[in-house]
Amino acid sequence: MNGEAKAGGQEVKMMKLDDLLQRNVYDVDEEPHIVVDYSKCDKCPTKPCVYLCPAGCYTLVGGRILFSYEGCVECGTCRVICPMDAITWNFPKSGRGIYFRFT
Amino acid sequence: MRIVVGIKWVPNTQAVRFDPKTGTLIREGVPSVVNPHDLPAVELALQLRDRYGGEVIAITMAPPSAMKGLEHVLGMGIDRAVLITDRAFAGADTLATSYVLAEGIKKIEKDIGKVDLAVFGQETIDSSTAHIGAQVASWLDWPYIYYVHKAELAREGVLLVERRLEDRVEWYEIELPGVISVAMKALKPRPVSLIRKIRVKQENPVIVWTNKELGLDTRCIGLKGSPTIVSKVTFTPEVPRKKVVYKPRDGLDAAVWLLEQLAKDEKAGKVIERAVRGEF
Amino acid sequence: MPGGSTPQKFDVIVVGAGPAGSAAAYLLAKKGFKVLVIERGRGAGSKELYGGRVYAAPLREVWPELDKEAPIHRWVRKERISVVNGETVATIEYTASKPVSFTAYLPELAGWMAKKAEEAGALLVDEVRVDEIIVENGKIVGVRSGDDRVYADVVIDAEGANRLLLEKLGMVERASPENLAVGVKEVIKIGGKNIEERFGLEPGEGLAWVLVGVTSGAPGGGFIYTFKDTVSLGVVVHLRGAIKAIESGAFTDHVYKLVEGLRIHPYFRKLWADGDIVEYGAHLTIEGGLSFMPKKLVAPGFVIIGDAAGLLLNTGYTIRGVDFAVYSGKLAAEAVEEAFNKGGPTEENLKVYEEKLRDSFVYKELVKHRGIEKVMKDPDFFTKYPAMLTLTLGKLFEGEYEEPTILEALLSSAREAGVPLLSSLLKLLWVVRRL
Repeated sequence: MNGEAKAGGQEVKMMKLDDLLQRNVYDVDEEPHIVVDYSKCDKCPTKPCVYLCPAGCYTLVGGRILFSYEGCVECGTCRVICPMDAITWNFPKSGRGIYFRFT
Repeated sequence: MRIVVGIKWVPNTQAVRFDPKTGTLIREGVPSVVNPHDLPAVELALQLRDRYGGEVIAITMAPPSAMKGLEHVLGMGIDRAVLITDRAFAGADTLATSYVLAEGIKKIEKDIGKVDLAVFGQETIDSSTAHIGAQVASWLDWPYIYYVHKAELAREGVLLVERRLEDRVEWYEIELPGVISVAMKALKPRPVSLIRKIRVKQENPVIVWTNKELGLDTRCIGLKGSPTIVSKVTFTPEVPRKKVVYKPRDGLDAAVWLLEQLAKDEKAGKVIERAVRGEF
Repeated sequence: MPGGSTPQKFDVIVVGAGPAGSAAAYLLAKKGFKVLVIERGRGAGSKELYGGRVYAAPLREVWPELDKEAPIHRWVRKERISVVNGETVATIEYTASKPVSFTAYLPELAGWMAKKAEEAGALLVDEVRVDEIIVENGKIVGVRSGDDRVYADVVIDAEGANRLLLEKLGMVERASPENLAVGVKEVIKIGGKNIEERFGLEPGEGLAWVLVGVTSGAPGGGFIYTFKDTVSLGVVVHLRGAIKAIESGAFTDHVYKLVEGLRIHPYFRKLWADGDIVEYGAHLTIEGGLSFMPKKLVAPGFVIIGDAAGLLLNTGYTIRGVDFAVYSGKLAAEAVEEAFNKGGPTEENLKVYEEKLRDSFVYKELVKHRGIEKVMKDPDFFTKYPAMLTLTLGKLFEGEYEEPTILEALLSSAREAGVPLLSSLLKLLWVVRRL
């Protein structure tokens, strides 16, 4: 909860991204709609996806990219910014994935 | 074959949050979904129809909003659906629900034709009782097998099912008509098809029955027909988990990766440090 | 028999039940065309995300009943623009005499538009992803989803900013970070009374707030909108600019922290104190509509509308996308009807869509503000200049004994912010000429 965000100048902390994503509604497909070719990621010098995927689907583990699609909000940023053309990107099938309500 | 498959329209429990201040569930704006564990049952029924011909009829007891869920499974390829909806059915436990579903199947037999097989999912994500398949079988007095992964016709009127348990695989022959429950994740459900969904919209193949059509004794349905008492529910705190898949090159790589993951975690990292220092 | 073999033929297939697609479908269905709308989401609207505000007039041309029926949250009376530098904030506020725009949840609004189209007779099929536009003998004849093919005389592409289908068709180049930005936002529930008290609004009135200096060295901005009982706050970050900022080391953290930074910012956090975050999401948005616009907006049996056509204007102080989308849908519907009357939807006959668009306010606005693109991509405007402005104001207002003259304050602030004054003046002049 947003319990820390008290009025009146008290210290407030950033939430973890995972906790933010918990607020969303998903119907996650068993089959990933995005496939990442890690061998290309290993050669990528900047890895902008780590910073710019709003859902944090791309994380660095021991210097290597690790991708998980479950929290994806289907924005398409990774597809556009990937300098290595390492991402096979599509929308989920059958209405699955993110379900926005208040956006 | 005429196959009936049971569907439950459930709140998307992943999205239902627990309000620790009020002790209640926050359901506002949370859409419902077809119970995910019903989808392998739908898939199995469709595969049997694709192989042996006939039709698959989805059946659900739900408020009218469940039409969206029926459209989803009709879009997957279900031929038609029965929506049993009436305020008289509200507040039902599994006993009253299975009674209504069994009576629904009997009415399908009367109105449409003989039913060979009823298929259910293993359980629902909102109550996890796993009662319905067994209870429907009891009401109908049909044989019942659960944890089914595969099914095919052994010969006319006999279904051969594969049942996978932790330590073994079992095969059963079940005389039709019968009831089976399909194990969670046993089959990958097919996607919604464009042409099927167009047909759904054009033909609206959903039959709606209220208790006027079913004519069931009101003492046996809804809240009155439900002996189950939920005395208390407490919620365990939510543990956010990030599912990750790692394809290791070999066993060593997998072990190193796993240790790296654990080391990143504050608590687990300390445990590993102590383990490395030989403190255990 | 998965799929099926029933041949299906429509007059028009619309790909995407967003504002553009539903406007086109609604108008064509009303004219008696057999229209199929295909939407990938579960129900129309479930994949929609934007900042929060819609300009009403173009929508009223399609739906005169808009004000009465649409799920409108608040009519925007108050506009604020703030320049943020660390904890200092400089704000301009404007209260309009009459509101021309409203706030709405786009999932709700798009749902309403799609329902209008359905009521007019369009067939809306959701939960289906279109995989390909089918071309036969140089003509577009239908769409494919999985193994299913459905045919139509005209396909209207309203697929949005992620143009997978147009790229596959070869009608646009591969998406580039050059003319795209990502918008990331949170929605916080604080209750209607709190909104009115904290933002100084009357019941039913709304606020739109644009922020500069909240994107940590990457070109972009922030926004705050008020809804019935929630507030949305977010940032928009230009993707090429963000990549450059990552490469130069100016941008070292995750993009979500920009939004979180805004949420916990000492100046802003009071506004949503004790609120409950109810949603977090992101969507691509277009920066520089004209450079994103496909070279051709029509092909034989084919029309492109909405975001897919590059019809979005981000001036930095206002963003117009939904109204442009709806208006392009309206023009496409008119063009398709005229083309049918002229003998069929050939490229020649459909070209009237491009003409109508060129004569419309949509295209004129995009041309008028084309210079803004450069500004939106210049990091100085999002880092150094905001710093300079707030430093200057700080010197003017925070002097405990002595106050500098405005010129003194400006010169020393420019030095501190690392802005060469002459070049910045020239740049500003250049911007002002184009605004």
